[in-house]
Amino acid sequence: MIEKPSHIPARLGFLAGTAADPFLREELLQGIRGHQGVDLAKVVDPLPEEDPRWRVDPIRDLVDDAMHEFAGNRTQADAWLAPRLHASLRMTRREAADRRLWNHIALAVAPDYVVWRHLPNKSEPRTAPERFRGPLDRQCFSRLWWAAEIFRDGNDYSPVVTAFGNQDLVHTVLRSTWIDHRPSAQAVVRLLEAGVVSTGREINGLSVAINAAGATLLYDALAPDVPRDPEPLRQWIEDATTAPPVSRRHLPDGPDEEPVPKESVATLVGHFTDFFETAPVRGRDTEGRV
Amino acid sequence: METGEEFGPWLARQLKLTGKSQAELAEELGLTRAAVSAWITKRSIPRPTVMQEIARALGTDIGTVHSRTTDTQAGLPVTWYHRPGYPDGGRDGGNAAAFAFEPDVQVLARETCQNSLDERIRENGRPVRVRYTIHELTGEKLAAFRQAILWDELQPHYAAVSANAAHQKVGRVIDAGVRDMFENGRLVLLRVDDYNASGLTGDDYDDGRFAAVVRRQLESLKSGSSAGGSYGLGKATLWATSALGLVLINSTLSEPHEGRTERRVIGRLELPWRTVDGRTCAGPAWFGRPDPESPAAEVTRSFWANPETVASLHLTRDGDDPGTSFLIVGAQDVAGLADDDADGGKSDSEENGDDTRDIRAMHRRLVAALGRDFWAAMTGGGNREPLLETSVRTLRNDEIVLEEERVDPANEEPSRTRALRAHFEGTTVERLTESGQVAHRFVPLDLPLSGGGRGTHGRHQALVLITAAEESEEELNQVHYMRGNLMTVKKARVPNLPLGTDPFQAVLLVGRAVGDSVPFVNEAEEFLRAAEPPEHDRWGQTDELTLRWSHSAFRRINRLTTEVNSAVKDLAARPKSAGRRPGGEKLGKALVLKQSPAAGSRVRTGTGRPDLQELSAEIGPAGEWRVTAEVKLPRGVELPAMRPVAELDVRSGPRPRLAWAELEAVDGCEVEDGVLRFVPGVGRATFRGSTDVESHPVRTTLTRLVLELRAEKGD
Amino acid sequence: MKIYPYKRLNRPIALRVTSVSLRLPDGTRDPLDISAFSTQQQTVALGVAGDAWVSARIGLSATLPPGSTAADAPWSDVRVLAVLSDGETNVRTSARLRQSAPESKDWIGDIDVLRDDHVGRASLEVYAVATVDDVAGRSIAETDTPWVVDAMANEPLRGLALDIQQVDFRKSSREWLRPYADAPWIVDASGRVPTVYVNSAVEGLAELLGSRSGGIENKVHELLVTQMATDVWTAVFHSAVGDLEIEPDGSPVFPTDWQGEVLREMLPYVVPDVHVEEALRTVHRRRTGDAGWVELQTRIHFAAIRRAEVTKSLAGILRGLVQMNQGTES
Repeated sequence: MIEKPSHIPARLGFLAGTAADPFLREELLQGIRGHQGVDLAKVVDPLPEEDPRWRVDPIRDLVDDAMHEFAGNRTQADAWLAPRLHASLRMTRREAADRRLWNHIALAVAPDYVVWRHLPNKSEPRTAPERFRGPLDRQCFSRLWWAAEIFRDGNDYSPVVTAFGNQDLVHTVLRSTWIDHRPSAQAVVRLLEAGVVSTGREINGLSVAINAAGATLLYDALAPDVPRDPEPLRQWIEDATTAPPVSRRHLPDGPDEEPVPKESVATLVGHFTDFFETAPVRGRDTEGRV
Repeated sequence: METGEEFGPWLARQLKLTGKSQAELAEELGLTRAAVSAWITKRSIPRPTVMQEIARALGTDIGTVHSRTTDTQAGLPVTWYHRPGYPDGGRDGGNAAAFAFEPDVQVLARETCQNSLDERIRENGRPVRVRYTIHELTGEKLAAFRQAILWDELQPHYAAVSANAAHQKVGRVIDAGVRDMFENGRLVLLRVDDYNASGLTGDDYDDGRFAAVVRRQLESLKSGSSAGGSYGLGKATLWATSALGLVLINSTLSEPHEGRTERRVIGRLELPWRTVDGRTCAGPAWFGRPDPESPAAEVTRSFWANPETVASLHLTRDGDDPGTSFLIVGAQDVAGLADDDADGGKSDSEENGDDTRDIRAMHRRLVAALGRDFWAAMTGGGNREPLLETSVRTLRNDEIVLEEERVDPANEEPSRTRALRAHFEGTTVERLTESGQVAHRFVPLDLPLSGGGRGTHGRHQALVLITAAEESEEELNQVHYMRGNLMTVKKARVPNLPLGTDPFQAVLLVGRAVGDSVPFVNEAEEFLRAAEPPEHDRWGQTDELTLRWSHSAFRRINRLTTEVNSAVKDLAARPKSAGRRPGGEKLGKALVLKQSPAAGSRVRTGTGRPDLQELSAEIGPAGEWRVTAEVKLPRGVELPAMRPVAELDVRSGPRPRLAWAELEAVDGCEVEDGVLRFVPGVGRATFRGSTDVESHPVRTTLTRLVLELRAEKGD
Repeated sequence: MKIYPYKRLNRPIALRVTSVSLRLPDGTRDPLDISAFSTQQQTVALGVAGDAWVSARIGLSATLPPGSTAADAPWSDVRVLAVLSDGETNVRTSARLRQSAPESKDWIGDIDVLRDDHVGRASLEVYAVATVDDVAGRSIAETDTPWVVDAMANEPLRGLALDIQQVDFRKSSREWLRPYADAPWIVDASGRVPTVYVNSAVEGLAELLGSRSGGIENKVHELLVTQMATDVWTAVFHSAVGDLEIEPDGSPVFPTDWQGEVLREMLPYVVPDVHVEEALRTVHRRRTGDAGWVELQTRIHFAAIRRAEVTKSLAGILRGLVQMNQGTES
């Protein structure tokens, strides 16, 4: 394990992938030695706006608490951290799609957390570089934020916790585009909750089935969602200025968006259960990704 | 009973026509010459009993004398007058103007409608209505018509021309026309009527519309300064369209002539120089009543025909609205015949199983030409009526072949018609925010001082209209330029449009076309008319422009064009992003990902690989996919082995692979360990397979199968 | 080749955008000029009015292929949906269109695009779904080419322009550029879209690239552009094949973002004669396998030359030079 950088910036910034590259040293990835953060600060582009949202402290505090709380089972930190990170770092999807921001958090704010969470338990361990500087569904922090964004049901983060109850779900499903349909995401969580699927293999199988049937079925037509309303999110972001730090014990509230229509979720729960139960492949290993 | 002209002038003309003097009539009636003179000078009218005797003396019935709506048939009968050969022996090959045109009904449509527009009666604000009637005659109807036009009198003239056909182009045309009539026993009449137009007013010989059309060869007599055509070239197309060089005319006049307005009839024939019965003829001939005042009373002039005569000549007009009917005898459409062969006219004749193909084609071509050339004049909107209405109908022996079809400008020019209508209705917008809208923008035309003076007389505001083009349209991104008569003078493509500009159509209205609310309307109209050559196909340097303004006056028009183009670009296309891109334009252009669906796929080098060509697939009883696929094989001896791969399509990411339960060769190949090996030289191979349902991740009916051939060894 | 197990319409849906209006922060609506969208390019540029907007409403008109409403059609309950999806922000929204008249093939409606939901380009498609063989929600026709809805662009151009930045490498606040201070340009393929940094510290370079003059300067300019373009295409190609998602069986997944587009445009020249999917598998095999990667470099270089249109530009440049020489001699 490594120490946190001695120089932690006060505000978030942009760290371009190319600029970040020299700092992904082997000794960091292998969890041998971290960096001081001074040189890194020189290649960071400041965020354009003076915005209280970009203060580093709340995030640094969260990861410190997570490492303390889940020292015994670091995988479980995800379910705890994801909603709290999401509620602390109040952003639009537009803002959250910028990988430079996540690069900065991983390398300048909490490289120690990345290594703590993702260094494999094996001989000659090495953290995958994509955990620092990778696709949104792989990078240590962006995957948490985005999973929270995709699985939350309006202001309710509890489906996020359920989703992280099984690492395979987030890992497999976050990459697929069918999950972008909110009722589909809620339906899958419901199946997990109800125990229809539970093992990693089952979740993979279900995901492949939904993905394949989605080539002929339009889930959007079977299970309509409510139209998106930009106001609640804008309000929630504005409230960030005055919001207290997120509770460590209770789940925070997300933006006050309309929840997914219950009938739509129910419809898809029916369809997905049917897919799963009638899949000819049952009992065999699927072609799903590991 | 309608009342004709006053007794005195009528009687005077009847005397002239019958070659009687006042004294001779007085003697026949047993009255004094003074009494007759008093009638003629309108000082008195005869007693009813005397009327009876006058009728007898003139060889007509009492009704004619009472109604006086027509001339008596007495006196010299209606006949043909052939202009004698020139004393100097000069010969013409026929009216040069008439034969400068290839017979083409589309040209005819353009020229005749233009004339009708020029002659429109403006005061009532109503459109001029132009109707084209194609009428084919055969059998008895044809014989009756030939009799009505005194064919027997003409026959020797045609024979003389035919005899010379080898030497004259015109002769050949006419020879062919005559032979068509006799050999095929048919004659096509094309009648052009206009209503709410001036009609052929004026004296038979003096300046006026009548003489301009009937007597002169190439002369323009324009009604107003916005006149688009002229009775010069325009009228020549009438005769050019007749294979017999023969056109008959019936006009209802807007201003009385000789106290009358209806059924002024004359015919004119255009033939080349010829000798008939030892007499030389210069060329033209007229069908009418011999004029007693002419030398030897031979020259024929127009006559006031009775309804029966106009009916026999197929010249009956609808109602008494002024205007003119031209009957083109032996109408031909050489340009159309070639066209028709090309555009599938054959199926038309097969369908109808008769020989009306050429008149149907003529009908279609007229409709198309009218829509194309006069869409603007035919467009109205708001409280403004269109300037022009046109229709086409086709008959055969008085029976309908194609119903009368009112030409709809929106068929040929849907988007521009929409633009102009929106202008008339006042619904144009400043900028386009929805497809289907029409935007307008004023552009200045600075009119020069006349007489060569420097400087500007005044600023006229021309109006650009623009709207999105319809999908059916061709020749996109063009501006049609037009002035008061709403004829397209110029079509010009707008240059240098930025990439991504959606197709549009635009119209520039200038002069009277804009409406009376803008300044210098008449001056602009006059200026542009002077800048318009006789072909009416552009505005630019002309002699008139140079004489009345200056050598450089045409530059004002160039400037207008520049203004128009920039206004159009402003309205239709987003201006290039302000501020220059870093790295410059060239580099920017070089570094663009095309994102076009057609991009890539594959580049052929000629060697080729086996490739799937046909695929049929169905779901088998156990839920397996069963496929039969045909593979196209390239030429070549060594064909690579290919592995058929069955997968399921997905929303995103990797596609689940299906295992084969069975895979067998049908033709041209062998299957070995799931790989196809092809027999060289067979061209194509077929294989069959069914998938292992145990490998299906979801119920098969919900899946979409993807079959590919993959090279067994990389590359 | 792909095949469905049920009856569908044979032809694609034709989609047209008919209007775009923005909702501004004060709640008012601002209809955009129709030049903000292009039917030819099938692209909507929402950046024309800057970034002070909250959402955009896109008016749509979709025409179904013939047969959708036929009385004897093998389906029922036809519905038409517009679907907007954005792979960068995982947004997927849909809107039902309504039939413009009973029995009509035209379906109209609108879909909202939120500014907060998109960084760049979203894709707009229309699906006709119906109940076929008692299965509801089956797609029976789609648009074949999606429209591009670009939240940033101020011109409706489908082609995706790579980013070009002009900076002084020595003085840039981007300190990571400093090591490259004497390079005239570098390519960074790690961002959203590949970026070319032009070093304004190299005297005269920026001026040359920005110039519009003719003569010899123009020739040098063109030559420079082809040189840079060749570099860029080589770099982005390598970056695209180096960053592939891999299926469990080891074969690569065709990327959907700009990398996919780069591959689609260049792979046919790298591995000719096969479908791009197979070409990608070949390239990936060679890159990760024991042999053949070095040999493939020639072909990658060739593909970059083709993509940069070097041959065409060079011919023009050389012809120009010859003419110029003849001009000075005579």
